[in-house]
Order: sequence, then structure tokens, then C-alpha cells
Amino acid sequence: MRRWLRPGDIALIALLLLPLAVAMPRLGGIGGPPELWLTWVGRVTGILGLAMMLLAGAVSVRVPGFDRPFGGLARLWHLHHWLGFTAFILVMLHALALGLAAVPTSLDAAVATLFPPVSHASVWLGWLAWVALVVFLAPTFDFFGQPHYQRWKRLHLVSAAALLLGLWHALLLAGEAWPWWLLGIAGLGAIAWRKGVAPARRHPYRVEELVPLARGVVELVLRPEGGGIRHEAGQFVYLSPLDESLSDGRGEEHPYTIASAPSDSRLRIGIKDLGDASHALQTVTPETRVLVEGPYGEFFGRRFPERDMLWLGGGIGITPFVGGARDLAVGAGAERHAHLFYLAHDPERAYYREELEGIAETQEAFAFTQHYSRERGRLDEAFLREHCPDFTEREIYLCGPPAMNAHLQRLLTDQGVPASRIHSEVFDFL
Amino acid sequence: MNMHKIAYSVFIAFVASLLTLVSVSALSSSERDAADDEGLDPITLGELAEHDAAESCWKAIHGRVYDITDYVSNHPTDPAVILEWCGREATEGWDNKRPGVPHSARAEGMLEAYLVGRLVDEAGEPVEPEAAARSDEARNGEAADEPALLSPAEDERLHRALLGLPLDGRYRGVFGDGGEMQVNVQFDLRDGRLSNVSYRHLAYRGVDYRTLDDDEDLYPVWVQHQQLAEALEDQPLTAIFALYEPERLAEDLDGYSGATLRGNKVHSAFRDALNRGVYSWP
Repeated sequence: MRRWLRPGDIALIALLLLPLAVAMPRLGGIGGPPELWLTWVGRVTGILGLAMMLLAGAVSVRVPGFDRPFGGLARLWHLHHWLGFTAFILVMLHALALGLAAVPTSLDAAVATLFPPVSHASVWLGWLAWVALVVFLAPTFDFFGQPHYQRWKRLHLVSAAALLLGLWHALLLAGEAWPWWLLGIAGLGAIAWRKGVAPARRHPYRVEELVPLARGVVELVLRPEGGGIRHEAGQFVYLSPLDESLSDGRGEEHPYTIASAPSDSRLRIGIKDLGDASHALQTVTPETRVLVEGPYGEFFGRRFPERDMLWLGGGIGITPFVGGARDLAVGAGAERHAHLFYLAHDPERAYYREELEGIAETQEAFAFTQHYSRERGRLDEAFLREHCPDFTEREIYLCGPPAMNAHLQRLLTDQGVPASRIHSEVFDFL
Repeated sequence: MNMHKIAYSVFIAFVASLLTLVSVSALSSSERDAADDEGLDPITLGELAEHDAAESCWKAIHGRVYDITDYVSNHPTDPAVILEWCGREATEGWDNKRPGVPHSARAEGMLEAYLVGRLVDEAGEPVEPEAAARSDEARNGEAADEPALLSPAEDERLHRALLGLPLDGRYRGVFGDGGEMQVNVQFDLRDGRLSNVSYRHLAYRGVDYRTLDDDEDLYPVWVQHQQLAEALEDQPLTAIFALYEPERLAEDLDGYSGATLRGNKVHSAFRDALNRGVYSWP
């Protein structure tokens, strides 16, 4: 986990506080009788809530590279998630506080504050925005069971309506409109970009080869039709296959990690059968076209470049390390030593193993250790220390199934490795 | 506890609170009905009109009369905005906090605390806001109800009009120059004498003299103009010609300010008011 502030966070906080700072002189003090401070709380939560909603929209823009000041797309996604939910909570506190502020006057006044005659359009716009929030958050709350990914994504577009209505609500009530125009353009502009402009700017590739690695795992070798993308080791892309014969996921975008070195003229992507779309990709037709958007993330982002690295990969989570090792194999990016532990159930599931062993034989900067849980059970401290005595001193990168990640986090933390030196980038539901 | 659970809990708590608030309010309903009004003191437009200043400010809003004297200083705007409606039917001002924007439900709730009675006409019947606003213009104007009954021999207004003499009533007039309105005066004329002389507007080159603080350079000019208005109070209408030599009416406050009084502008506004005729009847 990375707990420190990134440059992007500081910009985000500044933008978040801007409307509040501008409105502050009008809000009066927090002291005084309940109706006064409740009004203050109601206004402040409303201003912060809408600012967060708009910024949650703004950070969803997913322009390649935009995620780097925030520590990668996975972290940006967590920020989006956090902003969105906090905004939802704040707008409800906003309405409740303003309603309660009128209770000392009378109960009727409180109800009429929240549900005034229809002619008070500004208040009803606020309610409509809230309803839109509830509609697109409902699947996240599991009201109707786990949502289908693509359907959930489409429903999430209702957020644009929520932003628009919320913005309108604020513009009718705000003293100074310009901060809202600024954030509104950022939030709605980001959604317009993502849904309108970005799809047309994806890079076309052809499926050159489909290399079976194990049961349910293939490596897709992609040949760029134009310039293609430029990436670093361990980054990921969004891939939309256009093969008409695909049983599922045609034209849909899903995130996959790049397994090739940046210098490779082909883009190689390891794909495990984990869902309908990745299942269909196991039999994608060669020479069909795919669209690639990216790259994103900074899996190998370094906090402590003076330290050697420990790489712990398991399952399809080996792919970023394959990319890293292939990068080392061509003599690039090897300023520090890297030791990769490959955690697999048995030799049959240890795809890429031979290639990784080969790289370790020729490259001094790279060591490779295979671990089979069928033989040795879960990876433990003794095994790590036996093969890599200084593992607690290294900068550590994790990638694997959630249970493995949790187990390793615990193991490493118990050995006194500070959380700031353990990196993992989980992109579920991006 | 993750974010989903917190947000979901807040959502449920929010909906529950709203339902509680709405249902408690509905169950303890204090719906206003005609019967409630019966219990209120009847107040006529005439009685209402006696409370038209900051010292005692009553207003009729939607058929009810409120004594908001104690609230005036708490109102978020300049006191002039709220005082303008004292002593009369103020529904229009209430329903147009900004043009088209009524006061909030909360303000409505606060207003009830100042309720003193219900607005009635001379016959004791409730008055609709629009009707009241119309007759408000003609307040105290019994004559307005029965002008046709007067014979030409008795109708003094007619006599004055035929002789070209100004009628009794309230007047308003302006002086404008250089594309801006500089002076706007209001005064009442009773039996040929001036009263209630006041400035509805006094500005020059964008400076509103009525809002100046007493430490500002131009403040003495405002004081001098007030002195003009005071000097004309209870004087015959012909006193306005003294405005050609304003030093007769106002004292030079201090040599330092160098303030110059433009009595002729005020005079011009008075003449404009007379040209326009009666703004509202006494």
C-alpha cells in the first residue's frame, strides 16, 4: 500500500476545497444556536459533496499517463471510489442538516424545507441528482445481486445525469458560480472524453499468434497496425477484441497486463480464463483485429531505487514479472538486482517457468526461484530466507490471486517489512 | 467496515430519518385553516398603515398581519429593503425575495412567531392580497370610494386641478444628468405644505451617497442634503425655490470637505415630481 500524498492528490485536494474556500465568507460562523450551525454544516457538506462528485467524474477520464501523478490507475480508481461514496454520504448529511436546521422553527418548516412546492426548482433538482446517485449506486449496494460488468458500466453512465443535476442545483443557489463551472467542466468533460472521444483513439493491433501456455491460459501476441503504444514493464492496457466469431466480449474492453518488454516490437499479453470475456479470448481467431487503449499503471514504480527488488508472483499475476524479466533479458532497466519467486500449485501450472529460468541463467541482475504449493504448502518465511536471505531489506512487488496477496502481506509485515516497501497493483473491476 | 457498508448504512439512516421527519410532521399537523384565522385579531389597512417605520413595523402577508419590528435588525439584507414594506400589504415582497424567488419555508416558519392578526377590510371581511395591494395605494382614501358623489361645488381636488394648483398627495420625482439618475425625491403635499421629504436615491458618478460611512470624504454632502430635506419639512411648497441658494437651508459642515451642494438638482427633482403629478393619494 502507498500511503503518502502524490502530486495528483495535492491538486485534487486543492480543487476539492476551492468551492468551499470561495463560499466560506458567505457561510458565516459555526457557533450560535443549533439552527445556525446546522445550516452551516448543511451548506459545507453540500459544497464538499458536490465538489467530490464532480472530481470523482473528473478522475475517471482514464487518459493514458494521467494516472501517473496519482500512483497508477488502480490507485486512481480507489480515489474515484472513495470520492464517489464520500460524496454520496455528504449530500445526504447536507439535506438532513438543512432539514433539521428548520426544526427549531417548526416541523412543518423542516418538511417544507426538504420538500418545498415544485416552484422551488433548485431543491427538486438536488433531489433528482440524489435519485440518480441511488440508481447508479444500487448495483454496488448489491440490491439486485452482483451486477454484470458491462451492464454495470452502462448504468454507471447515469452518474453524468447526477453530475448535471447536482451542478444545476448548485448554480441556482451558489453565490459565486465560477468554481462550479470549473469543476463541472472537469467532471462532465471527463465523462464526455471517456465515452465520446477516447474510444476513437484506441490503437489497432492484429492478433499475430495465440500461444497456449497451460490449460485456460494463453499468450496473445499482437502486431501493431500503426505506431502502437509505448509502455513500461508491468503496465496494463484495455483490450477490445473485434473478432466476430467470439462467443462473448466482442467489442468490450477489459484490462490485461502486458507481458512483453517495452523494446519488443510485439505486444504480448498473458490471458487466463477468469470470466466470459477472457474465456472467449482463449480461442480468438488469428489475424483478427483488437483495439488497445493504454498503457496504464506503474507496477514497477520505485520508491526506494537504492534497494534490490523481491518479486512475488503467482497464477496469472506472473505476467508483470514476465514483462520485467524480459526487459532485463534485453539488458534494459537493470540498475538493481531482482529476485523473482514464482508461486504455483504444481509444474503444470507454472507457465513461463522455462523462459524465466533461461533469463536467470544469462542475467546476473535476475534470480529465479520456483515454489510449488503442492509440495511445500504455502510459501513461508523459511523458504524465502533460504533462497533470498536479504528479502526483508528489498523493495517488494506482489502480484497474484487475492488470497495469495493477503497471505504474503501478512508474512512480510510480520517480518517487519514496512508497508511503504510492499507494492501491489490490484485491478479488479476497473 | 468498508466504504460500501458505510455508504449503505448512511443511505438507510437517511431515508429512515426523512420518513420519520415527514410522518412526525404529518401526525402533529398544524394545518392552517379558516377556523384558525377566526381567532386572530382583525386588523384593517388603516391600522396596518400606522406601523410603517422601523420603530413599529407591521406587514400584511397572505392575509395575515405580522409585527416584525424585532426581526428587522436580523434580516440578512440592508434594513431599507425590509422597511420598504412596513405598514402595508407586503405579499409581493415576500413572494419575490429575488424576482420570482419566494422566501424559504424556514423563513415562513419564522414569520409565524410574529403573527399579530388577520387583515380585514372596513366591513371586517378578510382581504385578498391583490385587492389589498390595490386599495393600499389608496389607503385612507375614503374619497376614492365615493368621488362621484361630490358636486362640482364641493370637490376641492377639482378646484385645485382646474386652477393648476398641485393636488394633495405623495409625489416622486427625479433629476438625471450624464446618463445617470442622480436625485430621486419623495414628499407629501398636504394643504400646500411639504412633509415626509426624503431621498429615494442620491448618487453622483456611481457613488451612492445614502450608503456612505461617516468617515468618508463625501459624507458631508449627504448630511447637507439631509439638512435640505429637513429644512423643507412643514414649509409651503414655494420653499423649494430656496433650493436655488441652498446655503439658506443647509449649514456648511466643514471647510475641509470642500463639499459642494447642488441644491438646483434637488429643486429640479421637486419640479419633476410636480410635473408628474400625484404618485399616490394621501
